[in-house]
This record gives sequence, structure tokens and C-alpha cells, in this order.
Amino acid sequence: MNRLKPFAYFEPTTLPEAIEILAAKKGAAFPLAGGTDLLVRMKRGVIKPSTIVNLKRIEGLDQIKKEPGRGVRIGALATFSAIEDSHLLRLSHPVIAQAVSVLACPSIRNLATMGGNIGRASPASDAAPFLMILGATVSLKGPQGERELGMGEIFSGPGTTASRPAEAITSLLLPDMASHSGAAYLKIGRREGMDCALAGVAALVTFSGGKREAEDTKIALSAVAPVPMRAKKAEKTILSGRLTEKCIREAAKVASEEISPVSDMRASASYRREVVRVLTYRALMTALQQAREG
Amino acid sequence: MKISIDLTVNGERHQVDTTPWITLLELLRETLHLTGTKEGCGLGECGSCIVLVDGRPVNSCLMLAVDARGRQITTIEGLVSNGDLHPLQQSFIEKGAVQCGFCTPAMILSAKALLDENPDAGEEEIKQTLSGIICRCGNYKKIIEAVRTASDGKADS
Repeated sequence: MNRLKPFAYFEPTTLPEAIEILAAKKGAAFPLAGGTDLLVRMKRGVIKPSTIVNLKRIEGLDQIKKEPGRGVRIGALATFSAIEDSHLLRLSHPVIAQAVSVLACPSIRNLATMGGNIGRASPASDAAPFLMILGATVSLKGPQGERELGMGEIFSGPGTTASRPAEAITSLLLPDMASHSGAAYLKIGRREGMDCALAGVAALVTFSGGKREAEDTKIALSAVAPVPMRAKKAEKTILSGRLTEKCIREAAKVASEEISPVSDMRASASYRREVVRVLTYRALMTALQQAREG
Repeated sequence: MKISIDLTVNGERHQVDTTPWITLLELLRETLHLTGTKEGCGLGECGSCIVLVDGRPVNSCLMLAVDARGRQITTIEGLVSNGDLHPLQQSFIEKGAVQCGFCTPAMILSAKALLDENPDAGEEEIKQTLSGIICRCGNYKKIIEAVRTASDGKADS
């Protein structure tokens, strides 16, 4: 049996209580959300926390609710299944249910949480790209109070975030999508189910009133750089011209050139570049189609 | 560090003493002696340890037993009622969907969760539902066939 080593255990029922414990234990304590990553790394011996602070008993941390005038707030402890099934999110940000449906598998999505995914800061996160194109902000709470970080600021390196000691991710705010917008997330793994992305691409297109030029576009990539990244040069390519198929083809090429992929057991760097080119093209075309209909 | 928890397994309430580092999988197999639930990798990759928690499939190797407090757990042992096999168990036998049997409890429980929610589930939904469970015998074709037989299968016709 693959077992966990003993640890000290806390089950706070309020956020201030959780932060107090995390602060008192100074880095030796790990917050537990869904556990699908933390418990795996503990079993593998990659990390050896002396203390676990289970956040699941804190009421309200898993809520998904509308914030009038601002967007939709997703609690850090909301599971990906709850996010995928959320009627509210299906209407406000349809790309999310589409993206989440390719994240791991149903039984993992029933456990894994949005906050845990961001806190893990995996370069191959399936959630980070869609959060980036949607302009999400991450709320953190720590001993010094609350603050918000943009998705462009939250990751500081592979597996590390810009959070301060004893700070916990409490929620994410997704601004409402503009009208005439479309978005898509596409990924390729070595097999269809239950695999890490060897490259993932999220793309958003917002039309201006005339539906010829793009008013806004965002492209975000995972698994092709030390942290999930925006393809800002490719975005510029789209915004500087007419929104034609040729322009999208060019932007996809630019995206494949501005990444810094590694060769590893999943894929070679050159294959990742090729995959990014193809997926960026497809994701932009899908987003464009939706924006036209929206 | 002992913690006493209350949980319902296959309709029966249990109060058990456990420790925070015990997973639901260990509790089921070693404390409650329900060995139908299997450990494959123990790391959430193979799906062998899937049980239903409040009707939804989860990898029991990645859930702390303390988080099962107050929840309804269904294991493969809970599917027989009054000595009669569940229709999914029956169709797995009829279609030859069981080879070594190691992934079977997880396959049947995941399929049950799907069919409870959507009795007409078609092949694509079945494949999606079972996508996190590895069958090392490679018997996927017959497993999917068995689930389709148990479903009304209207979505495909």
C-alpha cells in the first residue's frame, strides 16, 4: 500500500484560523485543498510536510457566485466538477466547461480544486491558460491582509507562486466576457484521457462592432515555458491587421516562435513548437467562429 | 493522533477511529475489510481505487479518510441487493468484460454513477466517464459494450 507518512493535522473552520496556523508553522505546514497533487507528492516523498492544514471545513470557500458589475467569483475550494457543472459559468464563460472537460478525468475532477491548481503552479496547468485569456485575478489572504494578483503575476517559476509565507489563495474573479467574444482551449497529450498537456493553447477573440477587426485577442499557452504564458507577439499580429484566416495563420507561427519549450519524456521541443502552431491556429479559428455567432 | 469519524458505507453507518494520514482506500480495505476496492498505483493515475462518494466517483487513494466524515460511500460490495447482482454486474459477466478483474469495481462504480445520472448515456459519454481507469488486460471494448448494454443506449441510436 502506497501510504502517507504521519503529520500533524489541523482542520480550521475559518480562514483567519487557517492563516494563523500556517504562519505559526513557518513553511513546514502545507494547506490541503483537493489533495490530488499534494497527497501524490507526499506519497512520492517529493515533499515532507510536518503539518497539514485541511481547508475543506472552511465554509463558503467553495462557492461560485455572481459578483454584480464585476463578474463571477470562483472560490478556491470549488472542485473542477462543480465548475464544469455550474450553470452560471456555462452561461457567462462557456470556454471554462469546455476546457475543464479535458482536465484529468471525472474522478480527479470530483476532488481537484481551482485554488489547488493555481497554487501548484504547474507549467502544464490546464486551468491557467483559460484564466489568463479571461483576465482572471487571484485573491490571496495572509497575515498582512488581502490582496489581488493578475494571472500574469501569480506564477514565479515552475511549481512556485508569488504568494507570501502563510498566504492562501481564497478565490478567483473572472470578469464578464465582452459581447461578440469567443474563446477556446485545446490541448494535446500523449493519449486522450487523463494526460498532462504536452502543449495547451487558449485563445480569445473579441470583435469590434463591424465584425471585421479584432477589438481584443488573448492567447495563452501551457507546457511550453517555465510558467504558463501569454503569446503577446502573436496577439499583436492579430490586432495589427484584419481578422482573416491568413492573419491567424501568421499569428500561429509567431506564437510557435515566442515560446521556450523543453525536450522531455513527453515531447521534444521542436514537436512542441509545431503543436503550438497548429493548436493556436485551431483555437483562434474556433474562437473567431464563436465570436461571429455571439 | 486519533480522530473519530462517522460515515455511511453501502448504506450502513460506521463510527471508526482513524488517523489523519489514513486514506479512504486504507480505511475501506484495512479497517472495514471491504477489499473489493483495489489499489493500483496509489497515486491517482490508474483509477483502480475509485469508489462513489455521495454518488460521484473519486480516487479513494487521494482522499483522506477524515474527509469522508458524514459522507455516503458506495463500494462494489454495496451493489448487490437481496442477493441479486446489479444490472451492470450482470452485463459485465454476460459480455465477458471481466478479465483479471482488478479494474472491474472501479469500472462498474463509475458506470453506475453515469447511468444513475443519465440512463441513456451513449458510447462517447461512457468513454469519457471511464477515461481515468486503466485496464491492463486491454479489455476496453467489452467493458464499453457491457456498459452500453446496461444503459438504454438511446443516445447512440
